[in-house]
Amino acid sequence: MIDTIASQQLLSMRRQRVFVVAMGLFVAMTAAAGALGWSSHQTIVRVYEQAVKLLAAQGQPAPPNPFLLKPELSLLSNMVVYIPLLGALLALLIGHMAISDDGPAGRLVFSRSVSRGDYALGKILGAGIALGLIMLTALAISLFSLVVVNHAVPGLAVLGRLVVFYGLSWLYVMVFALIGMGAALLSRRRSFSLLAALGVWLGFTFAIPQFTSGLRPTESLNPIIDPVGISQRFFEVTALARPISIAEQYKAASGQVLAIVPVESASSTLSHTLPIAVAAALLVAAVIALVRRHDFSRSSYED
Amino acid sequence: MRTESRRRILAIAHHEMRAATRSGVLHALLGILIVATAGSVVIASAVYASRLADYQAYRAAAVAGGVTRIAPSPLAPLSLLRGAFEYIEIIGSVIAITLGYLAVSRERANKTLPLLLSRPVSAVELAAGSFIGALGVIATLAAASATVAVLSVGLIGHDWLNLTQVGKLFLAFIAAIVYMATFYSLGAYTAASSKAAANGLMVALGIWLIVVLLLPQIGDTLDADNQIPGGLFAALGLGHDGEVQILQHFATYETVRTSIEAASFAKHFERFAFAMTDVKERYRSLSFPDLLLQVRASIIWILIYAVTLPALMIRAFRKQPSIPQGANQ
Repeated sequence: MIDTIASQQLLSMRRQRVFVVAMGLFVAMTAAAGALGWSSHQTIVRVYEQAVKLLAAQGQPAPPNPFLLKPELSLLSNMVVYIPLLGALLALLIGHMAISDDGPAGRLVFSRSVSRGDYALGKILGAGIALGLIMLTALAISLFSLVVVNHAVPGLAVLGRLVVFYGLSWLYVMVFALIGMGAALLSRRRSFSLLAALGVWLGFTFAIPQFTSGLRPTESLNPIIDPVGISQRFFEVTALARPISIAEQYKAASGQVLAIVPVESASSTLSHTLPIAVAAALLVAAVIALVRRHDFSRSSYED
Repeated sequence: MRTESRRRILAIAHHEMRAATRSGVLHALLGILIVATAGSVVIASAVYASRLADYQAYRAAAVAGGVTRIAPSPLAPLSLLRGAFEYIEIIGSVIAITLGYLAVSRERANKTLPLLLSRPVSAVELAAGSFIGALGVIATLAAASATVAVLSVGLIGHDWLNLTQVGKLFLAFIAAIVYMATFYSLGAYTAASSKAAANGLMVALGIWLIVVLLLPQIGDTLDADNQIPGGLFAALGLGHDGEVQILQHFATYETVRTSIEAASFAKHFERFAFAMTDVKERYRSLSFPDLLLQVRASIIWILIYAVTLPALMIRAFRKQPSIPQGANQ
């Protein structure tokens, strides 16, 4: 029964124009990240050529090759920004629609031999598959971008890093899909639940990183985060809460996986991933509990 | 007739303000904005206070030592408000979109829109009334943020703003009100243009995502110097002169890059607000007229958006059906 609900969920999403547009936007942004990477490559080549000419005219030696300073997967550094922005919002929308689109008709489902646990798991599975397909598409586009920019097929190590990165990204966006579901189950009004979920996203993406690491909102748009030192007494205390700042944890883990920041140990990467996995597990339990106690006969998801 | 029209507009504005203050979701979003803004200014003020104490200790020691040429303070108290304006840029715009969306969806859900339109109220009056009401809510929010900001800088940062600084801050908050009012118009326009208002809300949020978050980020990413951690020109061992010479070969590239940034309404608001609040060092020494001259392009763009979106909103209100259209309307 779980798979029936999941497949119905996927079919319903495919018919939603808003969902299709949002997914198209995400795929377009993935392609844009590749295009930006290509542009970055071309810019470095051209600036380097001009620098060589300029320094030669001044009788100075050629500068060091800047590509030696550029990490191989830095092409994808923009994805580390787009996934917490666009990917998480898309996931929020998927989670929200998964519950609110059933609306008052949700109670009809329970006239069949469906347990509430199966219903919740089916919805979560449906959202998980949808987001998994989106991440697979993004992986394919990223691979294509790498081949075009580097004029070579990436090796197994790079491929492995990409797969782990998109796996981590899937886990991260699942957290927001579950938040979207939870908010839709907590409120009977469709718009209220969507905006409440959006408020949670704003909190995790912008407000909490400022509180724990002194990152201003626009600094949170950078792929590489540079938290304030914990020598200041305020941040000495708030830095203890960094594990709940999952947006920061995601960026730190992604930077390690893509090797666009100085690589630390595997255990360090895992320690950044753990809070995201814990958040996802807790939210799965919360969504199941909310579905169990939700009064579907009183649902009214109209504006 | 004019007095009658004004009375109707003010009645709708009053209704809009009362309805907005009763909305639970708006309270939640306002709570996030106020806590984040106040938190940002308080944190920045605490750091500023310690830096100011360091500078004053240096100054006292220099005076005691008979030093006549004392370096001026590098600190700018207004720049502490950078975080506050960034929150208005990101969260304030979402709140404004929500206000605009609620203005339409509330009347549709309560089935009061056809009732309103059956009265001698024109679509223009309805749009103007809603807009003025929202402006009242936004202005109250901006005034509260400004008060918290000035008090935090004074009480925690131990540096009270002078009259010129208050004047610049006032202009920055006026820009914030115009910025949020424009997003309000976007929210109301997309909701009024959609059959189901919730879809309009999603469209507005999509536009917000592109305009506020993605376009400025893309423009920044394309900056030639940002291609390598630590700066491309520094990595190539080039100073400022070398950078300027090389960038002369990138005129078209720079035009495209700045055009992408210019397409973002949020970026123009940010430039103006940052210039008024001394965030960028290059603006700090300028006189007030020179400062306005420097940011004239941003002022023009802000005004263009601020006129276009309300005009679109009025157009969408004119097309609202005057008879009920079903449950989802």
